[in-house]
Amino acid sequence: MSLLPAPLAPIRPAFLTRVTPVARLTAGMIWLVAAILTLDPAVPARLVVAACVALVLCSGLPLRRIPGRLAPLGLAILSLTVFSILLSGSNADRSIAAIVELGPMRITGPAVSAGLAVGLRVVVIGLTTLLVFGPSDPTRLADSLVQQWHAPDRFAYGTLAALRVAPFMAGDWATIAAARRLRGISPGGVTGRAREFGDRLMVMLVSSIRRAERLALAMDARGFDSGIRRTHFRELRVGWRDLLTVAVALAVAAAALALPR
Amino acid sequence: MTTAGPALDRQPADEGIGTSSEPRAPGGPPSVRAAGLGWTYSGRTRPAFQGLTFELEPGRVLLVLGPSGSGKSTLARALAGLVPHVLPGSWRGHLRIGEMDVAATPARVLGERVGLVFQDPDCQLVMARVDDEVAFGLENRGWPRERMQARVPESLRQVGLAGFGRRGTATLSGGEKQRLAIADILAAQPSLLVFDEPTANLDPPGMYATVEQLAALARRREHTIVLVEHRLEAALPLADDVLLLDDEGRQLAFGPAGSVGRGAVALLERSGAWVPQAWRGAEPRLDAAPQPGTAGAGSSMGRVLLDATDLQVDYPADEEGSHRALDGVSFRALAGERTAIVGPNGSGKSTLLFALAGLRRPDRGSVRVRALAAGGEPVEEMRDPSRLRAEEIARRIGMVFQDPELGFVARTARDEVLATDGATRARGRRGGADTPPPDSDGVLARFGLGHLAGESPFQLSQGEQRRLSLAGLVLRPPAVLLLDEPTFGLDRRGTEAVIRLLDELRETGQAQLLATHDPRLLPACDRVVALDRGRIVFDGEPARFLAEPPYSPPGPWRGGVVPTEAAR
Repeated sequence: MSLLPAPLAPIRPAFLTRVTPVARLTAGMIWLVAAILTLDPAVPARLVVAACVALVLCSGLPLRRIPGRLAPLGLAILSLTVFSILLSGSNADRSIAAIVELGPMRITGPAVSAGLAVGLRVVVIGLTTLLVFGPSDPTRLADSLVQQWHAPDRFAYGTLAALRVAPFMAGDWATIAAARRLRGISPGGVTGRAREFGDRLMVMLVSSIRRAERLALAMDARGFDSGIRRTHFRELRVGWRDLLTVAVALAVAAAALALPR
Repeated sequence: MTTAGPALDRQPADEGIGTSSEPRAPGGPPSVRAAGLGWTYSGRTRPAFQGLTFELEPGRVLLVLGPSGSGKSTLARALAGLVPHVLPGSWRGHLRIGEMDVAATPARVLGERVGLVFQDPDCQLVMARVDDEVAFGLENRGWPRERMQARVPESLRQVGLAGFGRRGTATLSGGEKQRLAIADILAAQPSLLVFDEPTANLDPPGMYATVEQLAALARRREHTIVLVEHRLEAALPLADDVLLLDDEGRQLAFGPAGSVGRGAVALLERSGAWVPQAWRGAEPRLDAAPQPGTAGAGSSMGRVLLDATDLQVDYPADEEGSHRALDGVSFRALAGERTAIVGPNGSGKSTLLFALAGLRRPDRGSVRVRALAAGGEPVEEMRDPSRLRAEEIARRIGMVFQDPELGFVARTARDEVLATDGATRARGRRGGADTPPPDSDGVLARFGLGHLAGESPFQLSQGEQRRLSLAGLVLRPPAVLLLDEPTFGLDRRGTEAVIRLLDELRETGQAQLLATHDPRLLPACDRVVALDRGRIVFDGEPARFLAEPPYSPPGPWRGGVVPTEAAR
């Protein structure tokens, strides 16, 4: 009874599924840096367009399921944008003409622009995350981090094992809540609920540690981190696709920054 | 390392089952010799096992039998070098695998020759994809890529998972996962294979397939095999030698499997094993449960306590569209009736329990449940459990989860017994009512937990936890008790204890529903409801179910778990 949706996986091979995860990570970081460099909403807007084009043309991800997956983010984006607009300092500046004026509340052009810039940046983060992590499973990312960036095995594959256990934790949480409801436990009030949350967390912690210990033991039994130099089943070679991906990401970021409004 | 070196340079040949062209591991399968072997985990006073002295010849199959807590799993860990090299504790005596002294050989070297399969498939698979999973152990041992690419599909073929390489490990059934775990260890070509209750967490088809796999390995005689298992009828035909342990982890007996059998029933029973019914003669056991209607609560017996009509539960869309977990299930539970809910993994058993408990509101259909008043008389009003307040639901429905640990609500066993009752008493006091405190220690004593009253529930063994989760329901028994795999991982004595306690709870007129994979529980039930792909495919008496299970093949569901051709 897992609560977490299965991660989005590519439904057909595409250009980005053949790019090594580290190259996608680099390209994604370039876009994120570009998106936060200026307060001009045009830059993240251009990157959003570019990211959508990349998602459609070369991610291989199931497009129809993307909007649903980004929906929770949408709420955050909306509230961030609205509050940034309402709370912008330029609204108080009487020398700037207001677009909207309702009693004491004024909204100015620069406020709208700053708010949009904040909201669009979060959209860029969401879409870029999909482009970086969507096209291959986490195992490839761990392989890529170890083989290309020489991350320590224990860190990369340990994290991977933890990711595999995460859906079980969601299931455990649901079971704990169910069990406590059926035992008639439903504390009222803020402190009661806070204590109840702590108690549930405590049960989950105990059970997660047990699970992690068993998994660690199984990994040890199969010779993990036993001092032998680890080899790799799947080879990740830097190819022209990786270079092209990073180059295109750079070019797009530069264009987004440099183009006149 | 000198012994393991040559194996890495050898090109593995094709090794489908039946062709036995696998290059022998260096020196062939090893012998296993223990002398005065003992182990105490650090922080414990009682040894996990002690004084083990036995000698297993190369290429033979040793079956280790013992009750829960007898140190069987620890012995399996010792053979793989996890004890003493990974887990802390103190070691006594000697354990030799071939020429290697386990205590003096680094885990890395032991790991080259020993493969260990654990009980729970979900706690030993590391990778997201099947081929990566098989390669994981080889990567750790530094195999060159070309050899891994040849070896991974071979190992998968060997356990009947050819072509599964690109599948996600999460999409496999329990039996497939366990066979994958076997492929994982076979890949590294160990010469000693250790299996720690490999079938305990599987449904009947998965168990059947795993036993078949073990039988094929045993027949090939290319490995020395140590099998920890308490399903005697499945494991004994595979064994050459048997090691029996008692509660304290002491050796009761060691000898050829042929000498253990009908003549040794008493000894086997002391070791907590499931002795086949046929060996015990007429002596009944699990099916000795009292019949409904004979119990104390008299008039309420047979009245409807829970009524579910036309339940449909859909899970949200994934890649293949939405998934219908329950499809038009109608079901009534009667007071004093014990019903087993059976079916393969994914047939909807857990979903049904969750829907009946009001934890998952059905997409169509309804669930209504009533409470039992003090005298066992049903309260008239039928209510929808998903709309009840928590304190109202506790009188109507109780649930024991597969992992009882997740359901504990208190810091000590004593408080666990008082918890449900305490919640109501607190409210009762507000109304001025003041009843004497209930005898929680008496309840614990009846459940064999008297000495653990002050312990944390999380410190107890699996069997004790299960009993405690039932003890927590005694002071105010719910009208309907739902149990998800109540005997998972328990040995015979643990199972019998659970049934005895269920009998006691049923005296109150309680209706009990058990989702179970264990055919041995069915004779202790009044009724069997069998599910397949979300629909009820059978509803009737256990005897009729066992005679003609509505599944194909029916064999595994009858409890005859050994594929006949597997017995040598």
